[in-house]
Amino acid sequence: MSGLEWVGVTLLIAGCFFYLAGTIGLLRFGDVHSRLHALTKADNLGLMLVCAALAVLSADWRIAALLVLVWLLGLLAATVSAHLIARHARRDGD
Amino acid sequence: MDVAGFIDLLLAIGMVVLALQVVSERAVLRSIILFVVFGLVMALAWTRLRAPDLALAEAAIGAGVTGALMMMAWRRLLIINPGQPADTPRGRSGVAIPVALLAAALVAIIGLSALDIEPHANTAGQVAMDEMADTGLGNPVTGVLLLFRNLDTLLEMAVLLIALLGARAISPPARPEEAAVIESGTPLVGALLAILVPLSILIATHLLLAGTHEPGGAFQAGAVLAAGGVALVLTARMQPGARPGLVTQLGVTIGLVAFVGIGVGVMAFGESLLVLPGTWAVYLIETAMMVSIGLTLALLFAGAPALVGGRR
Repeated sequence: MSGLEWVGVTLLIAGCFFYLAGTIGLLRFGDVHSRLHALTKADNLGLMLVCAALAVLSADWRIAALLVLVWLLGLLAATVSAHLIARHARRDGD
Repeated sequence: MDVAGFIDLLLAIGMVVLALQVVSERAVLRSIILFVVFGLVMALAWTRLRAPDLALAEAAIGAGVTGALMMMAWRRLLIINPGQPADTPRGRSGVAIPVALLAAALVAIIGLSALDIEPHANTAGQVAMDEMADTGLGNPVTGVLLLFRNLDTLLEMAVLLIALLGARAISPPARPEEAAVIESGTPLVGALLAILVPLSILIATHLLLAGTHEPGGAFQAGAVLAAGGVALVLTARMQPGARPGLVTQLGVTIGLVAFVGIGVGVMAFGESLLVLPGTWAVYLIETAMMVSIGLTLALLFAGAPALVGGRR
């Protein structure tokens, strides 16, 4: 494997680790807010690492730019939906 | 087994397990969420089968719009029956397992016999691929949908219109407060909409234009457009209206009108029915179809004959 491929694979494995951590947090944590905490933080970092890995492995600026867009959109959707779920949970006194 | 085979196996097992959970889950909301997850895994499976057009359609329509429609139906069930939760346990019929076994056996028999079939040298698919060079279109799926088998596509548009009319006939129009889920006072929602809605229009246009030479097309583009509409309805920026204005009536029917108009119009020039005169006709019809599909799906989601401007 070339140096670029090593970088890509390392990023990919790191991303998978954060996804795993986020999912374990989602399953194991007790209340809505802690679960959201685990999901949003870990998964967004995981998504960034996976997108970065795919960008490096593709070695194509166009695909890399699209992957940055994918990550930003994921961030946006995750942020707002987590905010809404947390707000809803607090209003219901959970 | 190589890595790709392992991923395929995981996808296949995942789909069967998810499908089982969708039908056996007691809580309706969990069933709906699992159905959406099933749709996304199915989209991955289509990608692995090198059918990106189907993957896009499955993700946008099968998982996205259908999931949103079912969630809205669940919500309206709760409003209709406030005392009785919509998650009543469903009893299993005694014939369920025999029927499931029978169906599985049938699928196995058909699948195994399909493995033995010798591929015919001159199938319709091969003929269509050979003809693609003359059409000026790069995407064979669009070629089949709009040129070779466009009667099917035309009738699909008619089915969509009939579905909207049927839904309007049987369901009372939704009250504005039923459709909006997210209170408009939430500060982040405005920012999300300001990005999401223009982006849905941009992506829909891209899917439409790309559809003639890459994966994409009117159905996927219409579903993405509808997603923007769904976001507007959910946040009360658009509210269910009582009667459709001229724009709504035109928007819902324009796909069918453009398709039939051009398809019949060519007969005046001595062509057969539905022989489209060129790439411009494909673009025109697809654009009209995208508008109709997007508006129809958004109206189905709102559960109303029309959409009017709501709160800011």
